[in-house]
Amino acid sequence: MEVDRADGRTRNQLRPLACTRCTLNRAHGSATWSQGETKVLAAVFGPKAGTKKNENPEKACIEVIWKPKTGQIGKPEKEYEMILKRTLQSICLLTVNPNTTTSIIVQVVNDDGALLPCAINAACAALVDAGIPLKHLAVAICCCLADGGYVILDPCKLEEQRTKAFAYLVFPNLLASVHRKGSLQVEVEPVEHGIITSVTRGVMPVEDYLRCLERGRAVSAKLSEFLRRSMQLQAPSDSPTAG
Amino acid sequence: MEQRLANTWQMTVNEKKFIETALLSDLRVDGRRPFDYRRLIIKFGREDGLSEVQLGHTHVMGFVTSQLVQPYRDRPNEGTLAIFTEFSPMADPSFEAGRPGESAVELGRIIDRGLRESRAIDTESLCVVAGKFVWAIRIDLHILDNGGNLVDAANIAALAALSTFRRPECSLGGKDAQEVIVHPPETREPLPLIIHHLPIAVTFAFLGKDNIVVVDPTHYEEAVMGGRMTATVNMNGDVCAIQKAGGVGVMHSVIMQCLRIASVKAADMTTKIKNAVSTSLYAYSPQVESYKTERSQRMIKRHTSTAAVDVSEPSHKEINVLLRHHLERSTIRSGELIASSSNAMEIETQLSEQDEKQRDGGARTFIGGPSNWDPLSKGVDSDALKVSLASRGAVRANTKLEESKIENLDVFEQSHPLADVNPVPPLHEVAAIDLQTKGERTLKDAVKPKHKRKKKPSSKTDAS
Repeated sequence: MEVDRADGRTRNQLRPLACTRCTLNRAHGSATWSQGETKVLAAVFGPKAGTKKNENPEKACIEVIWKPKTGQIGKPEKEYEMILKRTLQSICLLTVNPNTTTSIIVQVVNDDGALLPCAINAACAALVDAGIPLKHLAVAICCCLADGGYVILDPCKLEEQRTKAFAYLVFPNLLASVHRKGSLQVEVEPVEHGIITSVTRGVMPVEDYLRCLERGRAVSAKLSEFLRRSMQLQAPSDSPTAG
Repeated sequence: MEQRLANTWQMTVNEKKFIETALLSDLRVDGRRPFDYRRLIIKFGREDGLSEVQLGHTHVMGFVTSQLVQPYRDRPNEGTLAIFTEFSPMADPSFEAGRPGESAVELGRIIDRGLRESRAIDTESLCVVAGKFVWAIRIDLHILDNGGNLVDAANIAALAALSTFRRPECSLGGKDAQEVIVHPPETREPLPLIIHHLPIAVTFAFLGKDNIVVVDPTHYEEAVMGGRMTATVNMNGDVCAIQKAGGVGVMHSVIMQCLRIASVKAADMTTKIKNAVSTSLYAYSPQVESYKTERSQRMIKRHTSTAAVDVSEPSHKEINVLLRHHLERSTIRSGELIASSSNAMEIETQLSEQDEKQRDGGARTFIGGPSNWDPLSKGVDSDALKVSLASRGAVRANTKLEESKIENLDVFEQSHPLADVNPVPPLHEVAAIDLQTKGERTLKDAVKPKHKRKKKPSSKTDAS
């Protein structure tokens, strides 16, 4: 494997991951997620009574508020909010608490590339911390196309700016990591191999996109393992949060 | 309308009576005495100008950026200072996103008055070309968690962020010396702001029908208080600002007593902030050297990683180098090691000499400056933590040796520091500071493999 990335990583190496839950006191659930230098803090409040005006009252409603590190809230932030909302809507069990609103607030602490995947991971961890009923978890990864035409994972900000195309991919959490059944089982294949969200920027050939997908899916196994372990280890020491 | 009411948190009559009755015997709900502050934790981010303050359960993040702008017409040779407060909805369910409410504006104004009117920040030194270019300092305060007394916590966050902020150096060049060249931090050392004094805000709450005074109210006490007053004083005893907006009327003798208490608290708080800043700056300073080391580190990283590829089993080496550094860091070289890690030690001794030399050579370039960094200054029980990390790392390493997948390595090795909930934030801060500290070789080496795979942002300018 060549080592031609600026920070010495190979193509398939992720930056160091860190996840902590229950960081805030007033929020019902909170988590921070950092990939290398990129760090995002997510907090969850809910379920609160009532839904917004144009939402279906027979289902729970998800509301996402994205807070950038500095500056006004503009169109990019609104786009992130929309992507996060749709992604999280697909993993939450919306029929358990109808006519309620769950708010997820995402605060960017530091942005060094792959911000949206980091935020999705943080939001997912915060939802788990709050105890919102979920179908499965979501793991997000960023794949970008390097100059040589190969796929590199988890770019930092400079790599992201220099690349001609990148894709944010969100996969469902692998059930194999929960049941510990070794390699993938045939019966759970349809769920594991689905893509929840895919956001691409730039022009990339179709084969490269498919390669990104395949690489992302492979990494999602590792990410799921990490997520599951960090949830598990912190569970016994959870303290009840204030109301 | 009813939905919003249903979502707001109401204080019960029992809680209110309990707080007031307990105060009659000089007791507060969290066990403090009436004039005690809660525990203060100040943390800094890796970049300049980012601070995170925890005052009890209140959590505030401060971020300072700078930009070259045109000055105001009536002050052509002074820089500007702007404070933006964000009452994030994550802090309190009653905070709403969007336009700042009146309490957010009030908080911003109190902090602004304390800094600007008292001339705490020297704005004349921010002038580059009079009438054309001055530095505009922007302070963003994000309220992350509302545990009460947001003013004091936000003020401390602003002061801490300003103390560690570095603006890029700029010089005049081009024709007629009218063009301003902003130097990136790699070429010229960024400059700190000139801060004359630290104005500390101390908030008092008046509770009960006797108007008992308490310092640093929690949000329960804020819900039952009759009135509040914030006094901004500095260590020299100067009153920078006083804010008492409405609320219950208090005797002027009580106000004078509050001011006296405030000056005592301000002195105490100033030393705490200065200690926290100097501990972090100690690790960061001198700035030029740390940037130089980062540059040389980037070059060294390239060399060592190519060396790793040459050796037949890179995964073993990575694991064992990591282990070795963890072990060195815990300063328990032999004997007390757990049995599983002793296997790793044996493998390590088989490693080639050239690898050692490579790593040592790389490590030595980091050394410069004081070598007595105290790992306990952050209050982490580092020895116990490092032993537990080393043991966990060893166990994992043995199970993973068979797999030998490098791409797993990053994820797994780094997940162990997360296993302990409490020490995680200090460890990351410790690790972050480790990188830039001129500590002993062992501490540097301990951090180096972890950061080896991270990209150092080559442009650290905060100025846009």
